[in-house]
Amino acid sequence: MTTDHVDPDQRSDAERLPTRQDHYGASIGHDEEVVVIVGSGAGGGTLAYELTAKGIACVVLEAGPYLMPEDYENDEWASFQQMAWLDARTASGPYRVARDFPNLPAWVVKAVGGSTTHWSGATPRFRAYELKTRTYYGDIDGANILDWPITLEELAPYYDRAERAIGSTHRHGRPPLPANNNYKVFANGAEQVGYRFYATGPYGTNAEPYDGRPASIQDGFNFQGDKSTAKWSTAVREVPRALRTGRCDLRPGSQAVQITHDARGRANAVLYVDKDGSLHRQAAAVVCVAGNSIETPRLLLMSASALHPDGLANSSGQVGRNYMRHLTGSVYARFDKPVHMYRGETMAGIIADEARQDTSRGFVGGYYLETLSLGPAFLAAFIDPGEWGPGFTEVMDAYENTAGLWIVGEDLPQETNRVTLNASVKDQWGLPAADVWFQDHPNDVAMRAHGFSRADMLYEAVGALGVHHTPPYPATHNLGTCRLSERAEDGVADRWGQAHDVPGLFISDGSQMTSGAAANPTLTIVALAIRQAEYIADRLAKGAG
Amino acid sequence: MPDPTTSSVETDGRRTLVRLLRAAYPHPRFPDGPYERTADAILAQAADSLWHRLVLTEGLATLDARAAAAGEQAAFADLDDEAALALLRGVEDAEFFVLIRGVAVVSLYDDAEVHRLLGYEGPSFEQGGYLHRGFDDLDWLPTPRIEEYDGPDQLVEVAPDDEPTTAPTQA
Repeated sequence: MTTDHVDPDQRSDAERLPTRQDHYGASIGHDEEVVVIVGSGAGGGTLAYELTAKGIACVVLEAGPYLMPEDYENDEWASFQQMAWLDARTASGPYRVARDFPNLPAWVVKAVGGSTTHWSGATPRFRAYELKTRTYYGDIDGANILDWPITLEELAPYYDRAERAIGSTHRHGRPPLPANNNYKVFANGAEQVGYRFYATGPYGTNAEPYDGRPASIQDGFNFQGDKSTAKWSTAVREVPRALRTGRCDLRPGSQAVQITHDARGRANAVLYVDKDGSLHRQAAAVVCVAGNSIETPRLLLMSASALHPDGLANSSGQVGRNYMRHLTGSVYARFDKPVHMYRGETMAGIIADEARQDTSRGFVGGYYLETLSLGPAFLAAFIDPGEWGPGFTEVMDAYENTAGLWIVGEDLPQETNRVTLNASVKDQWGLPAADVWFQDHPNDVAMRAHGFSRADMLYEAVGALGVHHTPPYPATHNLGTCRLSERAEDGVADRWGQAHDVPGLFISDGSQMTSGAAANPTLTIVALAIRQAEYIADRLAKGAG
Repeated sequence: MPDPTTSSVETDGRRTLVRLLRAAYPHPRFPDGPYERTADAILAQAADSLWHRLVLTEGLATLDARAAAAGEQAAFADLDDEAALALLRGVEDAEFFVLIRGVAVVSLYDDAEVHRLLGYEGPSFEQGGYLHRGFDDLDWLPTPRIEEYDGPDQLVEVAPDDEPTTAPTQA
């Protein structure tokens, strides 16, 4: 293994980001059996840093390019074209996204840093009951509910480390972000309706300089990458640090297409195509898949073999199933005075009062309310897709006086909500595209209605002239398609994320989530990755892999 | 019958299209410029696709035919707002109108002049964000608490009635 010279100088991580290359960092041979990580987002990027920091060589295969902060655009559509995952995909089933956005089931990022590049930054933890949903919710018709094989107590120390890595506000001595205009409306409304558990965080953007990155300049555009680097992402923290260890070989423009195993069934390599379409094989001691909850099951399904005829690690039949996208909805309220909701940190406002288990509300699980803002370009596209006429333009005309929030809650896992290979639609490499089939569970419908009614009350309490309910848009939170389970027949991976069926194969992203909880998933994905890295390092040290 | 082999859609069609856009997306504050640029974006897309060109040419001609058939004695472009809107409601699901809306909803609102008219300030990073440009200038409500609540109330994660009947077991 050779290492590119890296100057351990004193510049910030952002300034030290490398310029565009075919690969970055160490040069690891294709036949060297290392840890191969598919994806560089919250899961993959964190694993790369945690493992290389422990002295373990890693190859990171990232399908997208390495965008630098100066590449990010303060322009919604230009940024979308720059970083969104736009490879062929289909949405199907009764949900409205399948009609309005039939080729865009999810709005996720294809770039180094994955969807941490465009995440907003909210970092609530899961609650204890949310990891034991079978125990607390029971058996619900149409749902496929299961307790996680791990508890909140086991996860707590890793949440601490994840919050410190991200620099979450309101945690470990990090100060809160100030109130922006959208938050002022949101928090005053919250207080008026009797909510108590609201704040500007916890939130993964610096209120003051921290960890080599600057304080927020309240520049908005959280969903377009953060040019200032005040917002945490693996593209500005974990990946550059992994490269600096000299043990990480990052290969952007590398789409994993198959995971192979040896005669005894152990994962031993990843096949991938580079940006020119050439096929390569990277040998592996361990394979960690963190391609987000659509690409991860797609890769396993494309890796069927004689030993695994229904897809790799799929003896349970659960690969691709139990797809969750969070219960969502947005509310935009019009006032008679200016708000300028787009100024400042987009989601630095969280109400936790409804994030609890209380079935007297008519549903199991809970939800958060979080501030949300879109620019006119995205608001027009998403506020009520396909809508036009005076009702539509009235909402747009009120833009300056509009406040917005997002409802994000737990949706229930259902076996039929599912990622499959679409044999009739191929991607640019000729490989079957992923199809995402989704239908709301009645519990989801009840929770969304409750969320909309509470948001209406909140805004009306501070004088809203009108409110508009926006349906769920292409999913930003994609979860559950390779879930953790105690028993091999119930899920895909064990309590460490290692596939029940395939030694040496780990699920390392939101796909592992046995239930989705109400919380935004990034913090939990990072915590699970830190924990998984410890386990992998320990196994490798013992020669067990 | 309109002839898509000629450039008629570029002239008569553009006028009809601008009128259609103003009727479908009525913003009294907007001048013609944003609508004209949106019409041009639609025409540019049609120029790249034979099918879109065929659909658009026929669709716009249909609007004139419907306007005449409704006894308006006028081309669609001459209808008042109410009549134009009513006619468009009648063709809501027609392919040409769906095509137009698909481009319009992106193009019309991805326009710097429209952004200014709506009170949106656009790119911010190069101007130092909004830290000193009004991110917190809303003054018609009190400044709220930003810290997490630390008063006497506790968030009850699980309502008493929702505690499992049997003790939770280690999964």
